[in-house]
Amino acid sequence: MPVRVFETMGTTVSLRSRLAVADDAIAAVVAVFAAHDHRYSLYRPQSELSSIASGRLALIDASDELRITYAAALEWRNRTGGAFTPHRPDGVIDLSGTVKAAAMRDAGEVLALAGVDDWCLNVGGDVLVSGRPDPGHPWVVGIVDPADRRMLLTSVSVSGPRTACATSGSAERGDHIWTRGATPSPFVQVTVVANDIEVADVLATAVIAGGETTLDLVTRSFDIDVLTVDRVGELRATPGLREAIEGSGALAA
Amino acid sequence: MRTRAALGSLFGSIAVLVIGWQAGAAAAHNAGATTSTSSSSTSSGSSKTFTGTTAQTQFGPVQVKITVAGGKLTDVVAVQLTNDGGRSVQISNYAAPILRKEALAAQSASITTVGGATYTSDGYRTSLQSALDQAGLK
Repeated sequence: MPVRVFETMGTTVSLRSRLAVADDAIAAVVAVFAAHDHRYSLYRPQSELSSIASGRLALIDASDELRITYAAALEWRNRTGGAFTPHRPDGVIDLSGTVKAAAMRDAGEVLALAGVDDWCLNVGGDVLVSGRPDPGHPWVVGIVDPADRRMLLTSVSVSGPRTACATSGSAERGDHIWTRGATPSPFVQVTVVANDIEVADVLATAVIAGGETTLDLVTRSFDIDVLTVDRVGELRATPGLREAIEGSGALAA
Repeated sequence: MRTRAALGSLFGSIAVLVIGWQAGAAAAHNAGATTSTSSSSTSSGSSKTFTGTTAQTQFGPVQVKITVAGGKLTDVVAVQLTNDGGRSVQISNYAAPILRKEALAAQSASITTVGGATYTSDGYRTSLQSALDQAGLK
């Protein structure tokens, strides 16, 4: 199956597709990620968001796109009871919690416009799919074991309206999640399967940050499936996630 | 070829772990189940329902009921205990315990991508995703 791999946003993108994707469509996907990275990266001193962080640019003078993205991130903070936040502990606006997902969604729209139907986009372990790898099977995502990243915990199928699968954790880059309290999260890894990649990504991060209170809140109020791994390695799954596990393999029968 | 061999050994290791977990998983199951509230027979054999210990959650006290048939977990239902007369209501989207053994046993051999907490470009190089990509590039 064709695979295209490139680096962006400090991580690696793998785009798998049933049929080969034309070079100009790939270039358009790469450009989508580059544009988001240039505007929002705090690692790039010249990015618009870095200019706001340093005080060179006032928020009111920022681009409409940046202010809309920030407003959406604040809305996520409200909808998660504050578990998700677009602010670093030092107060700097950090939109990395939503921007990668936004770039993935835009990349998906670029692929759709290019007439590419069946693809699986993996960006740093978060996954967005369209269609199927072949007519008889759904896309299947293996979920890494946070205790040993050479191993898998399980696999989940993503099909139908469930096109997005995001995983947050403290195993790698755990420091990019800002927790509210001093108490460490009871979860070392949280996977959310949803109909939208931003929903999946934000809520996975929120549950890591907010613990069981947030887990109960978001499973009750959002249309999502969740798999958590706690500090002693035990798993919890919502009914839909359990079905996604069973739907991933024929071995269950 | 080297990549395929690495993936082969990965799934081989998982098979070994499945066996390793079975003993421990059975013990964990028993520890969580306080009472066997009912058992019934079906045409394919007997199924039993176990009720787990009560956990305090945002929903209030919650118990998880599991059904086991033929040694296989067939159903998990979360029940919220209400205060009025001991009535209970089912919670539709509660994250209930799931055994590692069960999660592993159900997984597919035809994984097309690997999900995990965000990795850097450096982390990617040693990731399962990287191995899968190299296999796919052949």
